[in-house]
Amino acid sequence: MLHYLIMTRSLTYAQRASRLLERSGITATIMRAPQSVSGSGCGYCVSVPYKHGVKAVKMLDEAGLRRGEVYISDADGEIREALI
Amino acid sequence: MIYLDSAATSLLKPKSVEKAMTRALRTMASPGRGGYEPAMLAAQTVFSCRCAAAELFNVPEPEQVVFTFNATHALNIAIGSLVKRGDRVVTSGYEHNSVTRALRNAGAITDAARSPLFDSDAAISAFKEKIPGAAAAVCTHVSNVFGFILPVYEIAELCRKNNVPLIIDASQSAGALKVDFSSLGAEFIAMPGHKGLLGPQGTGLLLCGEDGVPLLCGCTGSESKNQDMPDFLPDRLEAGTHNVTGIAGLLAGIEYVSEQTPEKLGRREAELREAAVEELSGTGGLELFSGPDQAGVLSLRHRSKDCETLCSLLSENGVAVRGGLHCAPQAHETAGTADTGTLRMSFSPFTEVRDVKKACRLLKNIAEA
Repeated sequence: MLHYLIMTRSLTYAQRASRLLERSGITATIMRAPQSVSGSGCGYCVSVPYKHGVKAVKMLDEAGLRRGEVYISDADGEIREALI
Repeated sequence: MIYLDSAATSLLKPKSVEKAMTRALRTMASPGRGGYEPAMLAAQTVFSCRCAAAELFNVPEPEQVVFTFNATHALNIAIGSLVKRGDRVVTSGYEHNSVTRALRNAGAITDAARSPLFDSDAAISAFKEKIPGAAAAVCTHVSNVFGFILPVYEIAELCRKNNVPLIIDASQSAGALKVDFSSLGAEFIAMPGHKGLLGPQGTGLLLCGEDGVPLLCGCTGSESKNQDMPDFLPDRLEAGTHNVTGIAGLLAGIEYVSEQTPEKLGRREAELREAAVEELSGTGGLELFSGPDQAGVLSLRHRSKDCETLCSLLSENGVAVRGGLHCAPQAHETAGTADTGTLRMSFSPFTEVRDVKKACRLLKNIAEA
């Protein structure tokens, strides 16, 4: 199953993002950011179902909630950058 | 025992605080250090506490709420962030050593805007005179010795008009008076978690209007390849493992305070102070420090008996009060009690009126003996 992974600058920002998305009915799971894509070291990201990915990113941007890069993760764990 | 030392710490707490701490001890790991369930449960608790505090104190975003070990720790971060060696810093005449020693350590020139006890207009005038040209101002909301409520909203307005950054020490007001971060517009507001917020010792909060300078450097669970501390809150000011058990208890305390409202709890404490004044008025040899704009703290002294002796005698009779300078020599210098110190009674929302009256009757007998 495909998911969008939205990188965040810290756990607190991931929690804020998750709270905002969940309140809008988008399932948003906080998880450790994969090392392969967390450029500055350990970090957290928010995982959202593929169908809500674009909308979720737009919502975070509109709320002024700073985020990092966005990736798409497939069921095998392959990760590629999302073009948004 | 009758506990009348709530200005030092809240021995009496809601049951929910103990319950939350026990649950945290049994189930929670370190937030920001893993993605497994106990770590995420801890992270959720820490975030919930940030959000609860942000709501209670009207802080725009939860990341502006930084966890500290106590109010002293929070004040040291705030002062270290704003004050440089040689800066002139205006304070009230009622500051605690957690402010005055930190200012001395920073190399600041403390310029106290002294004013008489329980005279808000005089306090405003004193600040009005000193604020222009100052590098910063630090003001306690409530004197920990006398319970005098300083007019911090007016002082904050003076600071804003003069572009002077302000730090507020809300050690005695958080949980007992309205502390509105957005209305005050202070750069920092520091407070303990273990007094009016009814959490455990080892917890404190710093409400941040700017990023601040780290007092401690180390692991934050973020940007670990970067050897500088992160440039964003709360990580910038929160190095090392969080006191998750304490924060869980603090969350329960804040929830209790939010439900009851600080105004209601503070009113209750002030009523208990009034009951003590009524009971003790006219007692031979006793001088009570009481007036308008006073919170749930009462200081007094005896004409000839040492305040520590009075405290010991009360303690032998099961009453816990505090004597001495209460770590605030500046406040005693301002009030003219530096040579004697005072005996301080301070009340909690859980103190019973009958206990206050009983303690006062004991004190009366000791004072008049």
